[in-house]
Amino acid sequence: MPNTPTSSAHLLTLLQLADSALPTGAFSHSFGLESYLEAGQVSDEESFQQWLKHFLAQSLVFTDGLVVRLAYEAVEMEEVFYLDQLSNASALPRELREAAVKIGARMLSVAQMVFSNPELEQYSQAVASGRCFGHPGIGFALAAKSAGATLADVLGSYLFSTLTSLTQNAIRAIPLGQNAGQRVLAAMHGPVAQAVETIFTLDLKDVGAAAPGLEIAQMRHEHQRARMFMS
Amino acid sequence: MAAQSTYIEPAGSAFTSELVGELRLDIGRRAGRDIAVSQYSRGALRVFRPHYLDASGQVCYTVINPGGAYLGADRYGIQITVRSGSSLLLTTQSATKIYKTPQGPAEQHMVIDLEDDAVLEYIPDQLIAYRDATYEQDTVVRMGKRASFVMCEVLTPGWSPDGRQFSYDKLRLRTEVLVDGKLAALDNLWIEPAEQAIDSSLYFNEATHVGMLLAVDARIDAAMVAELRELSYQAAAEQRDPVQVGISLTALHGVAVRTLGTSTESANAVLMSVVDYLRARLRGQEPMNLRKN
Repeated sequence: MPNTPTSSAHLLTLLQLADSALPTGAFSHSFGLESYLEAGQVSDEESFQQWLKHFLAQSLVFTDGLVVRLAYEAVEMEEVFYLDQLSNASALPRELREAAVKIGARMLSVAQMVFSNPELEQYSQAVASGRCFGHPGIGFALAAKSAGATLADVLGSYLFSTLTSLTQNAIRAIPLGQNAGQRVLAAMHGPVAQAVETIFTLDLKDVGAAAPGLEIAQMRHEHQRARMFMS
Repeated sequence: MAAQSTYIEPAGSAFTSELVGELRLDIGRRAGRDIAVSQYSRGALRVFRPHYLDASGQVCYTVINPGGAYLGADRYGIQITVRSGSSLLLTTQSATKIYKTPQGPAEQHMVIDLEDDAVLEYIPDQLIAYRDATYEQDTVVRMGKRASFVMCEVLTPGWSPDGRQFSYDKLRLRTEVLVDGKLAALDNLWIEPAEQAIDSSLYFNEATHVGMLLAVDARIDAAMVAELRELSYQAAAEQRDPVQVGISLTALHGVAVRTLGTSTESANAVLMSVVDYLRARLRGQEPMNLRKN
């Protein structure tokens, strides 16, 4: 009998969670990009692609990326709660913490509604009780893990999803054409694979390792005059 | 009469592995002035006799490294306790120099305990990392809700015979502050020139010197950070060398400052403007004058 081609169930869960249409409000956040736009350091497809590559390798890997991996690997919920606090405390720019709390709350509510599982429930309760802040990467990791997705796929899709949101924002803000945005995203496939590899080499003490120039830009965004984004 | 240090050895070391240099200070108030009620030093770390730089009673200790530099596989341990109502200004005699470390990273581990109403200002000279140097610094601050903490660091690339600015291998400075056991701030710097595109605008952005300041005090709020921002931007604008500054309110009543520039002096000027504002505003203390020159 011929095999019927099937797609793994977790693929659709990942596609849905990583979809830029997921209502997390990520389109309101530039994570410091807007300061570079204001300064003229990012102004076209080429400079944005360069910025995005560095954002991934020099920041996202050590922040959300590593948090996603450690949340996925956590055995006890206490480890997840500690990661939540570590991630919040290591985000020194105020707007980064506010962005994580806002996006995290929406990610958690969507994930809970659609992909509910006991770990997500416990994490949501900890957020509701004020014990945790609510981090989008943790919500994503707990939902995708229970759907049976492998860690490498969870990491790749989370990172790529974040880069997609930022690219959509850049398309509106620079502005760039839609085709330019797709070219930038295609150019990120290699760097995302590299980032996933790097994340596997890190450990708990590396969470929140900072890129100083980006941090300064994120901090200075707080008082930028004309703003499209909340971070 | 001035209180004398009693030189009682503290209960025990927080460090389990072998250290090249170890320093333990336990600061309390005696006869209206702060002093080490016990102190211990061993190997390549010592302190000068205490000084009093103003009339506040705050004691100032200066850490000296008789060897003059941190070498490969050297491990240093510093353990500081400041008792309720006491205040310590901890500084260094001169820059901490890290030479090449082929035997493994040079490390400094620091554990700081601040009781309620204790104050610590940790203001070391700049750190200079030379060619092929790897340095890891790990600082854990455990403080009461009513304690006050500030520290700053400036990281400087050492002179290299081939003229390259970033010839050191790796600098890692991780500083964790807990207030009543709850994580309040984590400052995690990791600079590894060969592994990272450090000339990117997200990294060093054409600068060579990175500065950090972290302060935690229950009275630090958004309004104070707004004032500090004005002040630190002003200090930056007055420097001959351009210096980029970011400043933000941290998770739990704290403020973080980052600078990027091309000189130690410009970074220090910005960071000290924040230190001086905090000591004036929180304690009515005069600007810091370490009288090193």
